[in-house]
This record gives sequence, structure tokens and C-alpha cells, in this order.
Amino acid sequence: MERDPLEIYKTPQLQSPSLIVGWQTQDVGKLGSKVIDFLNEKLKSQEVAEIKPLGFFPLGAARFKHDLLQVPESKFWACEEDNLLILKSDEPVFEQYRFLNSVLDFAESYCHVKELYTISGVVSFIAHTSPRRILTVFNKAELKRSLQGYGLENMTWEGPPAISSYLLWLAKRRGIPGVSLWPEIPFYLATGEDPHAVKVTLSFLNRRFNLGLDLGGFDLEIRVQNEKIV
Amino acid sequence: MGIKLYREPKLEKPIMFVGWPGIGNIGIIAVNTLKDILKAEVFGEIESWDFFYPRKVSIREGLLEDLEFPSNKFYCRRLENKDLIFFIGEEQPTEGGGIYASGEKAFQMANLVLDVGLKFGCERVYTSGACVSLIHHQMKPRVCAVASSENLLKEVKKYPNTILMSEIEGRGEGEGTITGLNGLLIALAKKRGLESICLMGEIPDWLSRALLPYPKASKSVLEVFAEILGIGIDLSSLDKMEEQIEETIGSFCSRFPPEVKEGYDQRKFIAQANPGTITVEAQIHIDERFKKGGDEGGERPT
Repeated sequence: MERDPLEIYKTPQLQSPSLIVGWQTQDVGKLGSKVIDFLNEKLKSQEVAEIKPLGFFPLGAARFKHDLLQVPESKFWACEEDNLLILKSDEPVFEQYRFLNSVLDFAESYCHVKELYTISGVVSFIAHTSPRRILTVFNKAELKRSLQGYGLENMTWEGPPAISSYLLWLAKRRGIPGVSLWPEIPFYLATGEDPHAVKVTLSFLNRRFNLGLDLGGFDLEIRVQNEKIV
Repeated sequence: MGIKLYREPKLEKPIMFVGWPGIGNIGIIAVNTLKDILKAEVFGEIESWDFFYPRKVSIREGLLEDLEFPSNKFYCRRLENKDLIFFIGEEQPTEGGGIYASGEKAFQMANLVLDVGLKFGCERVYTSGACVSLIHHQMKPRVCAVASSENLLKEVKKYPNTILMSEIEGRGEGEGTITGLNGLLIALAKKRGLESICLMGEIPDWLSRALLPYPKASKSVLEVFAEILGIGIDLSSLDKMEEQIEETIGSFCSRFPPEVKEGYDQRKFIAQANPGTITVEAQIHIDERFKKGGDEGGERPT
């Protein structure tokens, strides 16, 4: 018997919000985690639901990284004031189709989400001192047109799909417009952190959703990192 | 999770031929070639997304154009005195990252294939795979068979170049396992009241872990298919592939140490090679060249 993987703590009061998704596994430059954590902290988001791990993740053993236990998590937060639904999740290992549909079921049925944004870093052969472009993949041309003034770059790619592309494809089948944001991460920062890419991503979201976020704190992080690398 | 039929062809007690990738891709090449030769037409599919992660995304100028999944398609063809259904699956559903089918998904997939067969009145199903044997690659592969009933075994014995597993030396009383969907499907077919037969083309043991197709064995299986259907088929479409593979295999063989090569070549002069033909040491040496790592599945009667 298949059980409902969704556990809803609270149905958020949102008016056709946008859904922002960040993945915390295979998280190049820790971009997804950093962006989502920053948003949740500054926007005072509330946990509203989760997708239970059973069936989606190997649960036969405890995983740890840097001596810390890693428990697979897929949690939704809501920021009612800014009308955002946020998901921070590990990438499912099994049953990706069912998992991603559960994400969209909650977003669509309980929150009436109107747009989807996914966030993942892309490894790039750029230097840490170079500007970070945000490469993008849209599932609908209308959304692409409406974001023309944001300085985003188009991605062209044929090959194995990332989980974000799979989610974008499923959203398209449901008629939900969406975009995957792929900020560039210098290859030597891929396994570390890249505050510059985090700032660039947050700047886009700040502008897109009028969040009024102060991103000044990242300048110091960027400067410190640049000095360390030198 | 489901079956999508584009149309409902009128078929009378069709025979079903099922092919999936496996060792040497012997089964899928045989079934797919027969499907192509007979110009069978697609009429349905099993939707892939419940079983497989997409294998390719196409993004152009910032727009997601397509997501491609391994296909699982049904084809049909009406011959003068027999109706046929073909099922070609481009991948075997697995749980846990193996190459060959396992777990609940494999069980569901096999049952969906049979659902379609039964819907159209199918009473018999054939799968095809590889029989890992101590043969030389220059020998004509035989076809080894496993069937769901004694009556079918009697019929199978009449097929050309075909032997039962119990007739292979060193196989005891014809015991073994057929791993992956080729095995699971015929087992489930039997359980659901269908006649089922698996025809396995012989492949040299040391090639069973190589990532090479083995069309020579597919041809042997195709000859049996032709006999079953009472038709003549032109297998020249496989000639080029066979020639290329033979060349590759020959090039590997030429690099064997002389004592290994001598032992291996003796297989050509023994009707059925016995396990002493190749030493364990030599076997390991040969396997090292072809190791792909990980999975040891496939249609490997043991």
C-alpha cells in the first residue's frame, strides 16, 4: 500500500505564490543550501510541510559527512508576507517521479503556486574574480520573455538531466511556468562555498520578488575569500 | 503507472516476443531484428517515468525542449497464419543501481507487459537472452531453452540448433536461474496461465562481462524464431555488426598469452567444452580485460 509521503503541519496563507527550490545534495558551491537558508532566516519563514523520506532515500544506514550525521530532509517553508513557498531538499535517490510529483502536489493543491524557481550551481571554468553569470532554463517561453530585463543568460545543453530539469519538465506538464537558475561557480570552489554566486542569486530573487534584503554582508565574505585564495 | 495504447489492433491468439538489454544484448537484438524484418507497427507503450530516471534533456537557448526516457514499446504484426506482438524495453527497471531488473519495479513492469498480452488473447510468450558457455567465439552458438511445461520442452527439442539446459554438460539436471526480466517474465507468465519459453543464445564466458553486443548468438536465436513462425528471414542486416565484433574479439584474442590462447582455441575442437578447458587463472586474466565492474546479472544460467 502506498502511503501519502506528504506531512502537512499547516496550510499556509499564500496568494498564488512562487515556489523556490534548493537542493542540498550535489550542491555545487553550497549554493542551494546557502540561498535557501538565507531566505528562510531573513524572511522569517515558517515550516509548513515535509516529504517523508521513506521510499525516496536509502534508510538502511546512517550517512555522515565531515563527522556529522546526514539525515535526508525535504521541507517546505512559507513566507506569507512575501508570498513565497520555499523547499529545501535532498535529491531523492529512488522514485524520483513520485517524489517530484509530491512536491508539485503540495505546491499546486495546497498553495496554488503560480511559478517555480529552482536553484543549483553549475561548475564553470571561470576565476573567482570573474563576474558570475546566471544561466537559465525555462519551461515556457512566456516566462522567459517576462524575465528578459534581469540579465539572465540562456543555457544550451543536451545530456543527462539534473533533478531541477526533471522538476521543470513535470511542472510544464501541469501548466506551471518555471525556470532553473544555474549561477556559475568557479571549478575550484565547487566543493566549497561561493559567497559571490550566493549574492548574485539572492540579488536576482531580491529584485524579482521585491524582498528588500540587505546583501551587504556578502561583500565582506567575498573579500575575505578572495584574499584567502590569493 | 500505466499502459498507453495508441490503438487496439485486432489480433487472434498472438504470440508475444519480448526483448530487453542483457548480456551481449543477444535477446533484444534478436527480438528487435525480427520486429524490423517483419515491419511490425507500434501500437502502445508502458509509460516510462514510473520506472526510469530520464536519460537525456534537451535545452536550447534557455528553453527546455524535451526530456527523454528509455522506451518500452509494443508492436504488432499479422502474418498469414499467426499474429504477433513484440515488446521492446530499452532498459530493465532496477532498484539499487544494478543493470538488470530487480525488485518491485521489475515485477510491475513484467506484469504490465503480460497485461497487454492477455488483453489481446496471447497464449504464449517468448523471451530471449544469453547463455554463458565455454564455447569459442568462432563456433556457431547454440540456443539453450527453458520452458514452462513438459509439452513445451518436447516442442523445443524440435527447434533447430536448440538444446535444453539439462543437455549441457556440467549443468546437472538443467537447474539454474535466469536473472533479470527475461527470467521474471516467463515465470510470471507461467503463473498467469501462459505458455512461456526463454531462448538463450550461447556467448563465450569471457565475453559475458564485456560491453559488446554478440550478434552471432542473436542470429542463432533468430533462426529458431524463423522456424517457430514458419518463415524465411534474411539476417544480412546483422552481418556488418557481426563482422565488426568478430574483428574486435579477434584483436583481444591475439593479445592473450600463448598458453591461454592455446587452451581457448582447443574449444573449437571439442563438441561441448568442459570446464577444464580454461584454467581459473587464465579466466581471471581474461576477465580483467573486460571487467566493467558492479553487476554480475543478466541471463546467466548457473
